[in-house]
Amino acid sequence: MRGISPSIDSDGSNPVADDRGSATEPARQHDSNPDDGGSATVSLPCVHCGEPTPCVVGANAEEVFCCNGCRGAYELIQGLGLEDFYALRDQSLGVNAGSSGAARWFGGQDDLFENFDSEAFLGVSKPQPVAGGLLVSDLSVGGLHCAACAWLIENASLQTDGWQAARVRMNDHTIRISFDPTVTSLSRIAAIMNRLGYPVFPMSADRNDSFKQENRRLLIRIAIAGFCAANAMWIAIALYAGEATYVANDHRLLLECFGVGLGVISVLGPGRVFLRGALSSIKTRTPHMDLPVALGLAVGTVSGVAAIIAGSGAVYFDSLAVLVFLLLVGRWIQFRQQHHAAGSVDLLLRMTPRHAELIDGAGRASRVLVDQLAAGQIVRVKAGESIPVDGLIREGETTVDLALLTGESEPKWMSPGDEVSAGTVNLSSSIDIEVVRVGGESRIGKVMSSVEDAISEKVPIVILADRIGGVFVMIVTVLAIATFIGWFSTGITQAAANATALLIVACPCALALATPLAVAVAIGRSAKRGILIRDGSALERLSKPGQIWFDKTGTLTQGRVEAMWVTGDRSVLAIAADVEKSCVHPLAQAIIELAKRYGWTESEQTVSTKLVDGGVIGEFPEMRVAIGNQSLMRRIDTSIDDHFVVAAKDCTVNGFSPVYIAVGDKVVALLKASDPVRVDASKTIQRLHRLGWHVGILSGDHPDIVTSVARELSVDESLASGGMLPEDKLSVVNQSDSASDRAGPIIMVGDGANDAAALTAADVGIAVRGGAEVSLQAAPIFISTGRLDSILELLLASRRTSILIKTAFAVSLSYNLIAVALAMLGKISPLLAAVFMPLSSVSVLSLTLLWPVFKSEKS
Amino acid sequence: MSVLYIALPIALLLGAGALFACIHCIRSGQYDDLQTPSLRMLIDDKSDAERETKRSESTHHDRS
Repeated sequence: MRGISPSIDSDGSNPVADDRGSATEPARQHDSNPDDGGSATVSLPCVHCGEPTPCVVGANAEEVFCCNGCRGAYELIQGLGLEDFYALRDQSLGVNAGSSGAARWFGGQDDLFENFDSEAFLGVSKPQPVAGGLLVSDLSVGGLHCAACAWLIENASLQTDGWQAARVRMNDHTIRISFDPTVTSLSRIAAIMNRLGYPVFPMSADRNDSFKQENRRLLIRIAIAGFCAANAMWIAIALYAGEATYVANDHRLLLECFGVGLGVISVLGPGRVFLRGALSSIKTRTPHMDLPVALGLAVGTVSGVAAIIAGSGAVYFDSLAVLVFLLLVGRWIQFRQQHHAAGSVDLLLRMTPRHAELIDGAGRASRVLVDQLAAGQIVRVKAGESIPVDGLIREGETTVDLALLTGESEPKWMSPGDEVSAGTVNLSSSIDIEVVRVGGESRIGKVMSSVEDAISEKVPIVILADRIGGVFVMIVTVLAIATFIGWFSTGITQAAANATALLIVACPCALALATPLAVAVAIGRSAKRGILIRDGSALERLSKPGQIWFDKTGTLTQGRVEAMWVTGDRSVLAIAADVEKSCVHPLAQAIIELAKRYGWTESEQTVSTKLVDGGVIGEFPEMRVAIGNQSLMRRIDTSIDDHFVVAAKDCTVNGFSPVYIAVGDKVVALLKASDPVRVDASKTIQRLHRLGWHVGILSGDHPDIVTSVARELSVDESLASGGMLPEDKLSVVNQSDSASDRAGPIIMVGDGANDAAALTAADVGIAVRGGAEVSLQAAPIFISTGRLDSILELLLASRRTSILIKTAFAVSLSYNLIAVALAMLGKISPLLAAVFMPLSSVSVLSLTLLWPVFKSEKS
Repeated sequence: MSVLYIALPIALLLGAGALFACIHCIRSGQYDDLQTPSLRMLIDDKSDAERETKRSESTHHDRS
C-alpha cells in the first residue's frame, strides 16, 4: 500500500533507539524560541485540499497531506487513474484555489454506509429499475464546487465495476447514479463518493420542486414569445419595404393580418403575466412596473386591431411582440439569479442523522427514524457517529466533539448524567442516551429555525427598487395620458401612436435591469474567485466601513491543534506516539505528527490505553505512561519538577496549552499545543484597519488564548472576548447593532454551522468554514478559498459595485428622461420606441459587463 | 394567386414546428440544468482504449 515516506531527523537517528534520559538534540534546535517547535518547519500546501500543513524542511512536496481524509482521497484518485483531477481543478479555480473543505470523517468507517442499502433510509432516493437490469437512484451530494468535481465523480464511476454512470447536476447539487445491483451496491458507491470528498445523502421527501416548475414555465413563455417576435419582425420588414416602395393592397392586408395575429397571440399568451400584474397592481393600489407595460401593450393591440378593421392606420405588432419577448427574458434572468446560490437543502437534515438505534426495555436494538423518537426512550450511539437527539447520557463514558455547537475543536469529556446535544459527534466509545428533545425542538434545531426566519425577510434593495418603480410608473402613466390628450386635436391615431410610443420607450426595464444585473455580474465574478454570495443586497451593504467581528477557531486560526516540543526527554515522544496512535482526538493526531517529524515510525506494538478526563494513560509491560494536562498529572500522583512548572507557565502566558508526558510517577517531558494563527490573518487585519473598519474577535475558546491572539493580530483587546457560547456571540452582535455611533454595517465572520445565529443577526454574515450549502443558509456570503484576504477582495469589490449601480441608474434614468421628452413631443413613432428601448437595455448591459469589479480581472 | 398566400402560412408552420419541439424539450427537463453541460463540454475525455490501459497500469501498480 502506498504510503508517505517518513520524515527523517537530520542526524538520521531514530529517537527510540537512544538512551532514555539522554538529551540528544539536533544542532539546529532552538528551545528558547517557542514558535520554532524545536526544529525548522515549513508550511506546504496539502496536495489534495491545499490547506497549509506544517512539515519538516526537505519533505517531499508531492506527498504532503493535512489529514488522513485528504491522503485517502488522493490515493483513491490515483488508484482510479484520475489524477488529472488536480490539474483540472487548478485550472478552473486558479492555482491558489486553497482549501476546499474536504469532507470530515473519522477513520475509514465504510460500514456507516450500509444504510444506503435500505429503502427506508433512502425514501425518495429509492433506486428505480431501468432497462438492462440497472438501478437508478437520485441523491443529494455535497462538496461540489467546480467543473473538476463533476468530472472526477463522473469518471470515477466509469472506473468502478458495476457503477454504470453518474450524472452530476451542479445547479441543484444532485447526482443520478445508475449501477448494476448484481455487481455492486449503493452503499459501496456511497463509500467511494465519501472517500473522494463528496458525501451523499438521500434527497428529502418534500423537495422543493417549485423552482424547477417555475423555470420551465418561464422558458416556455419565452419560447412562444420569441417565436411570435421573430416572425412578427420579418413580416414587418416586408410591410416597411412595401411602405417604402410599393405593395399590393391584398398582400399588405395579408401581412398585416398575420402580423396582428402574432402580436395578439404574444400579448394574450406569454404577455398575459403583465396584464395580470397590472390588474392586481390596480386592485391593490400599489404602483407596479407591469402597469405601463400592460397599458402600452393594451393600447397598441387595440389600435392595431382597429386599424385592420378600419383598413387604414399603422399597426405596431412587431413592437409589441419584441417588447413582450425582451421583458420576459429579463424576468427569467432575474428569477434564475435569485435561486442560484443556495439550493433546496433541508438544513436540519444535513446536520443531524435521520436514523437512530433504539434500545427497548429488553435491550434489543432496532433502527428507527429520528422523527419517531419520543422523550424518555433510549438510543445507542456508537463511536464515530453523530448524536441524533438532545438527551442525557445513561450509560458509557466518552469524548464528544462539540464543534457543531461551539466551534471548538477540543473534545469534551462526558459521563453518565451529562447532557448531549443533537448534531455533535460521539468520538471514543459507545453510549446510551435518554431522549429529551428531538428535531426542531433540539438546540441545533432552534438555531436553524431562527436562520430560516431571517432568510424570508425582504431585502432592502428590492424594496427600494419597488418604490422607485412605483413612482416611475405613476409619472409615466400620467405623462402618457397627458400626451394622449395633448395630441388629441391632431387625430386619435396620432395621439394613440405618441402615447403608445411613450409607454413603450419609457419602459422601466432599463431601470429594472440595471441594479440586478450589476449585482449578478459582481456575484458571478466573486464566485469565480471562490466567494459565494447568495443575494446581492449583502454585497451592497459591504461598501462602507463599519464593525467586523471575527470568530477565532478556524477563521483567524487554522482550526487544527498543533503540538510543539518544549523541553524534557525527547525520546519519550516515540513512546507517547505509540500511546496516542489508538486515540481519536485532535491532540493525539498532533502529537503523532510531532513525533513523526522527529523520526518516529508507526510500529506494530499495541499499547493498552485508557482515555480519561484530561488525557490518556497507556500501560506498557514495564511502566505506565500518562499524557495530559496538569489536573490529570495531579490526580495520578506524578511529581512535576520546578523547571517543568516554569516552562508550563511560560506556555500559558503565550497562549499555549501545556501537555505533560509522565513515565511512571514522574513528569519527563512537556509539549505545548495550540491552534496556530493563519499566516495572512495579521496582514488582513491591518489592511482592514487601514480601510476604516473596527475589528473585534468573538470566540468560544479560553479568554487568555483569545487575548494573546488579539495581541498577535493587533486587534484592540477590548473588542476581543473569549468563552462565548453561540448565544453570547449573538447578543454581542445585536448590541453593536444598536450602538449609537454605528455608521457602517456590522459584519460577522465565522463558521457557517455553529455561528449561524450571529451570522444571521449581523448586517452581513460571512461564513468561512463548513459546507457551502449549510453555510449559505445562515450567511449570505460563503468564502470557500479559506484565505482571509478574500474578505478584503470582497469589500473592495462591493465598493466598486456600489459605484457601478449608481452609474447604471444614472445612465438609464437620463435615457428615460430624454426618451420620454422626445416621445411627448411626438418625435418618436412606436416602432422607433420599440427599437430604442432594447438599445437602452443593451447600453446598460454593456456598461455593467465591462465594469471592472475586481482589481486584476481573470478571464 | 400570389405565392405569398402559400409561402407565408408554410413559413409560420415550420416555425411553429420548431416551437413545439422546443417546448417539448423544455417540458422533458433538458433545460433544467444549464450549468453542468457547459462545464462538461470543456473537459477532454480520454478515449476508452486509453482508459483501459491506465486502469490496468494502476492495478498492476497496486499489486506490486
